[in-house]
Amino acid sequence: MSLVINSLRSHFFKHLLCTSTAAAAASTATALIFGHRTRGIVGQSRFSDSVFFFSERYKLLSQLASKTATFSTSRSSSSLETLPTDSYTSPYLSVTICCQKNVADMLSEALLCFGANSTSIDEHDDDSEVGDEICISSIFSVSQDVKESISLAVDSIGLKEIPSYDVVMHDHTDWIKESQESFHPVQVIEGIWIVPEWRKPPDLQATNIILNPGLAFGTGDHPTTKLCLMLLYDVIKGGEVFLDYGTGSGILAIAAIKFGAAFSAGLDIDPQAITAAQHNATLNNIQPEKLFLSLVPSTGSSTFTNEIVSKPTDRQHLNDKGVVTETEKFHVVIANILLNPLLDLADQIVSHAKPGATVGLSGIISEQVPRIIHRYSPFLEDITVSKMDDWACLAGFKKINLG
Amino acid sequence: MSTLKEILTRRPVAATIRLTVPAGGARPAPPVGPALGQYRLNLMAFCKDFNARTQKYKPDTPMAVVITAFKDNTFEFTVRSPSVTWYLKKAAGLEKGSGRPGHVTASSLTLKHVYEIAKVKQQDPYCQYMPLESICKSIIGTANSMGIKVQKEFD
Repeated sequence: MSLVINSLRSHFFKHLLCTSTAAAAASTATALIFGHRTRGIVGQSRFSDSVFFFSERYKLLSQLASKTATFSTSRSSSSLETLPTDSYTSPYLSVTICCQKNVADMLSEALLCFGANSTSIDEHDDDSEVGDEICISSIFSVSQDVKESISLAVDSIGLKEIPSYDVVMHDHTDWIKESQESFHPVQVIEGIWIVPEWRKPPDLQATNIILNPGLAFGTGDHPTTKLCLMLLYDVIKGGEVFLDYGTGSGILAIAAIKFGAAFSAGLDIDPQAITAAQHNATLNNIQPEKLFLSLVPSTGSSTFTNEIVSKPTDRQHLNDKGVVTETEKFHVVIANILLNPLLDLADQIVSHAKPGATVGLSGIISEQVPRIIHRYSPFLEDITVSKMDDWACLAGFKKINLG
Repeated sequence: MSTLKEILTRRPVAATIRLTVPAGGARPAPPVGPALGQYRLNLMAFCKDFNARTQKYKPDTPMAVVITAFKDNTFEFTVRSPSVTWYLKKAAGLEKGSGRPGHVTASSLTLKHVYEIAKVKQQDPYCQYMPLESICKSIIGTANSMGIKVQKEFD
């Protein structure tokens, strides 16, 4: 029994010792339970409540020691209550099915209908000589019944027998790591580089913005981010107050400080984004007085958001929260989101800007530009559009005399 | 259709990936994450691109996406409108089709519904050249296989 508990504990420990930002907090919790790690991690004292919760759960879970299969699901359900973003960190099943080439397309469509999250077919160079077989790799969530889904899919396209298949369970860190491989340092403007946390800056003299986007938007190599950065570079002369609406990884807010703004605020609706942005702010040695990050005040409040706002280091900024919700406080406002939010939140976004301030809007494709212009022309004058690769960025000045 | 030049300079394809993603809701999390991550594609770029292009659809309608990943870690994707069965279920207000199609009728729809669905489907890259009438016929066929009756008008 104790052997099982030990293996469970290491399983538990392994799952929680992940590098993703959401799980970093969970590892703090385990450290406090198991006492394996030193107190170095305990900067996140907000989780003291969840630790007691966790240890209660752990007692319950150790009683379920015999059911290792249910263990992983109950772990994820317990962590679901402490970490709201569990879907990012859950394991997944990867199934490889080998079948004939002529049915491969139909089979992958059928699999999608019957419960697969995604299917992919690899192309082979030498398909002229290799026989008829081709492999489909498909991804299912852990709760799916793979056998059932495959047999239903095979039935629906009329195959007589179920082809051979292989099931492997993967950890979420696998795909996170692989996607991080694709980030390289990027030079946006002359002398400004955006460098991922795990790579070395190619030019140490230049202004380097170090990023770990985590699971938030904003790595620096998207055309809209580049357009916004160029706009920022032109507009920030020094000492301005800047608002980044939809901050994602915080890249624009941090860039503004580096270009010389006096104060930067970043708002987002995604708690993941705020965590990532705070992490990036520390990576770039930005003082907390210069950068304020928050979830958009009106959206739904879970306990997680309250914990974010009442974090000790941000306590002095609860006064500044008034800054964010007050209108007409910012010299520059940039919103790099999507068409529909831009249309819906036009009043809110523009209300934060001072009269005569620069307002930048992006995250739209060229064909959506006329609608944005139409929606924002009551508020902005001198609207200019800059484009890159079918993406557009609008910049305008808030009208001085609004009704 | 592709020109000869395009065919000659076509990049080598690494894989074809099929996914179902809610419109405007692509995030670098499962299902998108693992599927694209294993080919080292830029998740953010795909999510942003996909979200921007699906802004005109109602949020959270499940769109079928086919992504062609090239060997140099670039990709292209095409978005298709949701499946006919999804539209039919939504129009009829059903969770699932009938258990015994042909014998048990789950619900009924009018020709007007079918016409509207056919109009949306015609915007798909594959159906643009088909006459509206044939699209309607194939939708009626799908409805029959789900146990949904199609009438001229509601009684």
